[in-house]
Amino acid sequence: MLIFTLRRLNLFFFTMLLLTLLSFSLSFLFPGNALLNVSGQINASPEQILLLSESYKTESSIFAQYISYLKHILSGDLGISMSSQTPISVEIADLLPATIELSMVALLLAMAIGIPLGFIAAIKHNKPADNIILSIAMIGYSIPVFWLGLLAILIFSITLPWLPSAGQISLLFEIKHVTGIQLIDILLSDNAYKWQAFQNASAHIILPACVIAVAPGTIFIRLARSSMLEVLETSYIRAASAKGLTFNQIIFHHAIRNSLVKIIRHVGLQFANLITLAMITEVIFSWPGIGRWLIDSIYQRDYTAIQSGLLVLSCFIFIIHILTDFVYAALNPMARDNKHA
Amino acid sequence: MNLLDIRNLSIELVTGSEPILAVDRVSLTMKEGEVRGLVGESGSGKSLLAQAIIGVLDDKWKVHADRFHWRGQDLLRLTPEERKKVITKDVAMIFQEPMACLDPTTTIGSQLEEAIDEQLLSGNFWQRRKQRKKSIIRLLHKVGIKKHIECINSYPHQLTEALCQRIMIAIALAKKPLLLIADEPTAAMESTNQGQIFRLLSSLNQLKNMSILLISHDLENITHWTNTITVMYSGQFVEAGTTSQIFNQPYHPYTKALIDCSPKANIHLPTKSRLMTLPGSIPILQHLPIGCRLGPRCPRAQQECVQAPKVTNHHGHQVSCHFSLKGSK
Repeated sequence: MLIFTLRRLNLFFFTMLLLTLLSFSLSFLFPGNALLNVSGQINASPEQILLLSESYKTESSIFAQYISYLKHILSGDLGISMSSQTPISVEIADLLPATIELSMVALLLAMAIGIPLGFIAAIKHNKPADNIILSIAMIGYSIPVFWLGLLAILIFSITLPWLPSAGQISLLFEIKHVTGIQLIDILLSDNAYKWQAFQNASAHIILPACVIAVAPGTIFIRLARSSMLEVLETSYIRAASAKGLTFNQIIFHHAIRNSLVKIIRHVGLQFANLITLAMITEVIFSWPGIGRWLIDSIYQRDYTAIQSGLLVLSCFIFIIHILTDFVYAALNPMARDNKHA
Repeated sequence: MNLLDIRNLSIELVTGSEPILAVDRVSLTMKEGEVRGLVGESGSGKSLLAQAIIGVLDDKWKVHADRFHWRGQDLLRLTPEERKKVITKDVAMIFQEPMACLDPTTTIGSQLEEAIDEQLLSGNFWQRRKQRKKSIIRLLHKVGIKKHIECINSYPHQLTEALCQRIMIAIALAKKPLLLIADEPTAAMESTNQGQIFRLLSSLNQLKNMSILLISHDLENITHWTNTITVMYSGQFVEAGTTSQIFNQPYHPYTKALIDCSPKANIHLPTKSRLMTLPGSIPILQHLPIGCRLGPRCPRAQQECVQAPKVTNHHGHQVSCHFSLKGSK
């Protein structure tokens, strides 16, 4: 297990190195001055620019420039935003938790609904239930997310005023920013209206999370169905049935665990897809997350923000990927002490 | 009384156009305490027959039988669920490739625990855990595994093929079965391990009076361990009798060919001369010959062979051939 952990950390280190290399090269590829792109100081006086070029080592070799860029990132200095002139690290610390909250709720929703439905479809293979679930999955996968989001607002917030259409929480509630993840902050606060605030925040998150969860959820249905069908064909399931176990025992003790092993690796891969969907959905639902901020920065040609935002988002996706790898190892004893893979 | 009595069991593969008769009216009887060998080439339907007996074939296969009795009880009158309950209570099966037959993500200990019959345990639920653990260890000792602690805590991929087969046997023994179906238990195993598994099975037969249906493609090897042998070819019944009847005086041309091609029976053969073999190979399921399926390969085939022969009985030695070798030798 220690070797497994070390390998993952090693992978993390080298991927981060590559990612920083990419974002470093972006400052040269974007139009304009590389130094201004990387620091975001567009209104700086000549003296300040001299100081900046010294700290980013623009006069030295590319390699030295890259090292100094790494130093800046590691000390938490991602430059300042070209449009708002505030430090980007502060903006990201403000916005990223909201995106983490939304995407995690959506991921849990997609897994909690998609995987059991896929299992049911596999168990009722070639029966009406299977066909119905598969067609739902096909339809859900084909719907574009922006259209679905608008449709959801139209139906659930305007025609049937059940759920709020925008924002993270009603302005009536004042929640102190501790972790940034709203639902946790509410539970931590000692506000007298804690539970009302919690209800209100939950009502706000349902609609965007559902919209994001549709596409990954349908992928999970199909993944779960095919992996369960595969597992049900194996000889250990046949042997278990010859042992005299009932069908339910076989499903719950053997089949589910083995098919989860096959699915869980794909969860990490699907998460990147989910983040893309979340960025679009954040714009539609005015969710104060990093996705909306990043899309705004693209509109405003805020190169510093784009560069750092991409770095932070891909870092987040990669951390989730590694976490799913650990879940995979926990479920699959063969991955734990495999020295070659 | 016969333990298992099957008459004219057929297994059909349901396909798009027309069903394929993979096993064609095979009869099989097992007595208590008997070791019966079921011999045939690969693809002759012996594994299918075994899986049909224990009831683990999936929906693609359809099973018919004229008679299917287990200890005098007519199983054809029961629903598939009830039949499976009766069968799995007293019949256990071990498969080829034992490692693939153990759940790779569960420890050996918990897989053994599942197999233990709750009714054999006594006492309250808090005592059962300990009892179950004890009975697992007893089972492992029975199949000759001494390092039970290591074994219980390991996963199938950490053990060897032969050890996994011992565990499969231990799982099978947990129900205290009257009949053990062993489907090529030693395929893909070295010969020292093969001998160990066969010795274990025969000692279980002698000590516990457990009947064993030993499925194999190797007629010569299993004659050491069996009392009676049934031979199958391409899903059809060929010949059945005691081991010495089959081995010393085969009535069917196919059985004779099987024995003739084993080197041990031909010890007097001059060096570097060819072993006797039948021409051709076993037909595939899509192109089965009509009548006796051995027809195209049989050295004694004549016009009558396009009709399937009836089984004739000579003092317990049953043979299904129009031109049997009876009296010709």
